[in-house]
Amino acid sequence: MMKVLIVDDSAVMRKVIIRELLKIGVEQANIQEAPDGLVGLEVASQNAFDLILMDWNMPGMLGIDVVRQLRGAGITTPIMMVTTEGEKTNVVTAIQAGANNYLVKPFTPEDFAAKVAQSTATKV
Amino acid sequence: MMMNAAGQSTNAIDAKLVNTLMKAVMEVCGTMAGTQVTLKEVVPSLDYKPVGDISSVIGISGENGEGMLTLSFTEPMAGLLVGRLLGMAPEEICSEDMCDGIGELVNMVSGRAKTSLSEDSGTLYRLSLPSIIKGPGHEIGGRPKNCPFLFLVFEADGHSFVLQVTFRYF
Repeated sequence: MMKVLIVDDSAVMRKVIIRELLKIGVEQANIQEAPDGLVGLEVASQNAFDLILMDWNMPGMLGIDVVRQLRGAGITTPIMMVTTEGEKTNVVTAIQAGANNYLVKPFTPEDFAAKVAQSTATKV
Repeated sequence: MMMNAAGQSTNAIDAKLVNTLMKAVMEVCGTMAGTQVTLKEVVPSLDYKPVGDISSVIGISGENGEGMLTLSFTEPMAGLLVGRLLGMAPEEICSEDMCDGIGELVNMVSGRAKTSLSEDSGTLYRLSLPSIIKGPGHEIGGRPKNCPFLFLVFEADGHSFVLQVTFRYF
């Protein structure tokens, strides 16, 4: 059973993402949420997940910095950025930092499902 | 017409930015909230004073320009969109989720504008975190002095809502 961590400061966006995860068969009990980057870093460092969904712009610590810290600590869990940051330079920055995939908001349910499938098929 | 060194008008909103924002509003409402939105009118007049019950404001700034985007909704329109975003009836939405949902909508619309401005200028633009203004019938104002502005009025399901765009190139 796939375990997923959602790191996003918007409670509404976390609910939207949870709904999409449930649609593709992830169990509610296997979904954890973090309301900012610092909590996300702590939860991801102390628990095993099959996928981390990471917002970019969050108060406290940016998602991109969480990715760098996790990779620096040797954590290889696939990370997919889910963000409004649509610039190509940001996609490159995220991949160089260690993210495996990138989804720009707004997204369709089909795009979300496809990117989750791609992300969980890869490992750093 | 005043132009900056890059040939961009400094006293009118760039038509490409307006087009990007219009498409972004339609795409965000359509994709995330399953709501078909149409552009009703574009109003460049200072005399136009729309009111809203809930508004979300986000700042956008870069090396060669800065501005502000404000999305304003009536309570029923906000409830409809956030309800569809969450898959809930409007009356089931708590106040925090209503504000958060409206903030996310303006965040996604602004993200599209930021991407367009950044890629066109070759420099990175930044967004502030969205701020929420809530209160029945508040007037949508707060334009920086001498900053070009426009109101884009949209319609969906018999309700209208307004995107105020203020933006200037340096």
